[in-house]
Amino acid sequence: MTRICTIAQIVWLEMLRKKDLYVLLILLGALLMVLVSLNIFGLGSVTGYIKDIGLLLTWVLGWIMAVSVTVKELPREESRRTIFPLLAKPITRFELVLGKWLGAWSIVCVATLLFYALVALVVVGMGGSLSLVALLQGYILHCGALGMISAIALVFSTRMNSDAASTLTYVLTLASFLVVPKVPELMARERGMWADGLLFLYNALPHFEIFDLRQRIVYGYGPVGLKTFVLVLLYGAIIVAVGILVSWMAYRRKRFKRGAMGQ
Amino acid sequence: MESAIETCDLTVAFSTKSGPVKALNGLSMKVDAGQIFGFLGPNGAGKTTTMHILLGFIEASSGTAKVFGTDVRQSIARRKIGYLPEQPDTYRFLTGRELLSLTGRLFKMDKKTIRDRTGKLLNDVGIAEAADRRIGTYSRGMMQRICLAQALINDPDLVILDEPTGGLDPIGRMDIRKIITELRDQGKTVFFSSHELSEVELVCDHIAIMARGKIVAEGNAAELVPEGKSLEKFFMEVVGDSGSAGGAAPGETQGL
Repeated sequence: MTRICTIAQIVWLEMLRKKDLYVLLILLGALLMVLVSLNIFGLGSVTGYIKDIGLLLTWVLGWIMAVSVTVKELPREESRRTIFPLLAKPITRFELVLGKWLGAWSIVCVATLLFYALVALVVVGMGGSLSLVALLQGYILHCGALGMISAIALVFSTRMNSDAASTLTYVLTLASFLVVPKVPELMARERGMWADGLLFLYNALPHFEIFDLRQRIVYGYGPVGLKTFVLVLLYGAIIVAVGILVSWMAYRRKRFKRGAMGQ
Repeated sequence: MESAIETCDLTVAFSTKSGPVKALNGLSMKVDAGQIFGFLGPNGAGKTTTMHILLGFIEASSGTAKVFGTDVRQSIARRKIGYLPEQPDTYRFLTGRELLSLTGRLFKMDKKTIRDRTGKLLNDVGIAEAADRRIGTYSRGMMQRICLAQALINDPDLVILDEPTGGLDPIGRMDIRKIITELRDQGKTVFFSSHELSEVELVCDHIAIMARGKIVAEGNAAELVPEGKSLEKFFMEVVGDSGSAGGAAPGETQGL
């Protein structure tokens, strides 16, 4: 565990010391401006809109951050050739992959916590109210979804450069967000092979929609039952574990180019 | 005498668009513990590929490789190894001290040992004054030194150095040579490749010359070169033009 945490710590230090951190600050500022500007259009008194838009932005920003932070990690080790001294240590490639995922995911979770805190502050500041338990559940499940996104990004980044990996992760996760919830409806209209194909798609793609508690938070439906909450988290943990396992399998025998190095 | 490195009939073959090529072609060698072993060869001979196998970066197509009796495919084999790659680079956003500290943690060293080793190594490689500066501000020579310190943080029994003096000025080269001989004096094994034949003559106890994926000449540094010849002349005779990467044809040897 020490080695995994050390690799995660290096990811953290790099984020904090390089300009990547400024991206987070810019995103936070943009979120704040959007929320405050709602008041200009006379919607400020309707805190439901602020919650809705604020949480939607939080999901979008968290999604972008999870992809952009994770896809860089492994390809960057190779491009700057730090992969060689790193793998010369007694760490396994599984520890490396897991450490990278842990570092990236934990950064995105902390950033998302800041987004949630900002939304809550603006809502409360404008006289609105929020169920703290539902908000906490929403945040934890959101972290579960971010873990899945990071794991998917990691899978693609083991064999692709960061641009290709991020494009594929965006396409796959967006399709999962938008298409998967509609599949049962489509299946009801289809027969035969089409219905089988849709059923396969429904089972194969990750279900991000079950991690999304925005409507509960916005409309004050209260928290979900504990059993449901735990089962959804367990589903997320399984997807993450599969993602990390696939990443390791793709990475464990990978040969690295030496770049500028000669023979 | 105990073997620090032992390889037996190592072969690395891979496919390319122009056909299959062999980076290593039945490499067998033994490096005794406690010596400085110079590993020479033209570009494309397979030196770095051999090092990468010893470090577990790539797996051989056939044959075996052991470090202090442990199969190199096991990550525990690397506990006793320190490695400095050719043209080393590292995390430039860290300070020199942080780099050594984090590297020590990868070896699961305790805090006190890390602190003591870090202080000693920073002094040994001559960058103690720049220890708390970001590595991104270091010169090329300082980068080489901090990477060497990183390679030595675990007090390794075997130090693998790939072109350790490449790109350094004469003072830097002399310092690295001094560190290499000090390591030998401490009973460590140093396995290093270099194109600087004069340097190899100066520090090595044993020399192996590699071409086309196998060793073509090997022996005690004092006895390998026939009297009246320089190592450079001997090297050219042994290797010839065919030893270079450019001479490798499909199905034969080429570097990875």
